[in-house]
Amino acid sequence: MIFLTYIPLVLLSLLLWRLVRVRAYRTVPCFFAYAAFAVVADTLRFAVHNHSSSYYAAYWITEAGYDVLGILVMYEVLRNLFGTFTRAWWGRLVFPVILIAGVWMSLARTEAIPSRVVGVPFYIVIGEIAVRFVQVFIFAGLVTLVPVLGLRWRQYIFGIATGFGLYATIMLLTTIKFSDFGTRFRLSWGWTSLVAYSVAVLIWLWFFSVPQKVTVPNSELSAPSPGVLKHYKDALRRMR
Amino acid sequence: MFSIVLTWLIVAWGALSCIYMLRCAWRRFPKCDVDDVIPFLYPVDISLAESLLDPAAEFEFRWKLQPPQFREAQRKRMRLYLELTRRMAHNATVLVAYADAEKTSQDPRRVSLASALQEKAVDVRLYAMLTRFKLRLWLLLRSEILISKPVLPHLRTACEIDGIQTYSALKIAAAAAFVQLPPEELASLTRNL
Repeated sequence: MIFLTYIPLVLLSLLLWRLVRVRAYRTVPCFFAYAAFAVVADTLRFAVHNHSSSYYAAYWITEAGYDVLGILVMYEVLRNLFGTFTRAWWGRLVFPVILIAGVWMSLARTEAIPSRVVGVPFYIVIGEIAVRFVQVFIFAGLVTLVPVLGLRWRQYIFGIATGFGLYATIMLLTTIKFSDFGTRFRLSWGWTSLVAYSVAVLIWLWFFSVPQKVTVPNSELSAPSPGVLKHYKDALRRMR
Repeated sequence: MFSIVLTWLIVAWGALSCIYMLRCAWRRFPKCDVDDVIPFLYPVDISLAESLLDPAAEFEFRWKLQPPQFREAQRKRMRLYLELTRRMAHNATVLVAYADAEKTSQDPRRVSLASALQEKAVDVRLYAMLTRFKLRLWLLLRSEILISKPVLPHLRTACEIDGIQTYSALKIAAAAAFVQLPPEELASLTRNL
């Protein structure tokens, strides 16, 4: 039974292998670091799962690592998006605003539903919920932009946002709904988290199954032939 | 209580986004080739757009017409510019779909041209979306009653994007991307844009 909980580790290892194959460390370095960290963290948890005190320490340290990398990946997603379609000054403000909104929502939620953990883990949980909010905001915002701006959805940044967005949506739903289930909460939360995270990794695997072309800068291209150039000039002349 | 309601709304937004992405994945990738572009474009008269956004022309209208007549004329001009931005947005959508298909090409030149075309098209979509929102608000609120006087030349830029310049750049990018077309088809493309 314990081995079922490590299904995401197997999927993450496949994802990491796939990321290396498509050289994703060039296009999405933070996500690559996240996937590598996730493999190391899950392996560490598996290695110490029989020692409760070591497992406790490993669990919370790696959770904090997931929080930090989760935020960095979301920053990377937004930076890629805004670098693509606009260089407006307000583009730089979007991420800090989303981050502040996420932290505020996390604190407000903790006020409404008090957490059962105390000490350092309490702050890690607050950070984790803030990251979930940030992930849902960015994912839902990106998806809203697809029909509005006619963006291409089959690209790495959308895949990354979709995986995180799906997982974060389900986890937020479980934290607000499963609290009604009483003693069955812990078990249901564990299994839901496992299935949702596995689906998220499968989404990433699907998106990264196709290599994404990196746009070659125009300056590196060979000059167009005289015939092509004449066509181009004629077209421009007709436009004026 | 407020935070719980807000959390539910955010979760619902996330869930709807998941459903939308599932729908996109289900429909796969519609392949849009050059035959799906030219007949679907609406002509945009750039000189008309220039004249609508010309501050001198607007000043002349204000100077010559009585206030009620000017308001009526201004509403007509706003409706006209709304139609132009609708066409710009539509053409940009058609070109984005075409550029998506072109990006799967093996030729790096075509991929590069498609990327440039898509970037300009997205800028045009963003400009058109913001401008249309503003215009609709002006038309809905009967402009002068609730908000400050609508000045059409202020619509030249939205979010630091110059509408006319960006649309002209889109036309140039389209001409570059379609340069392999036969002359008569290239002529109809440039005419329809």
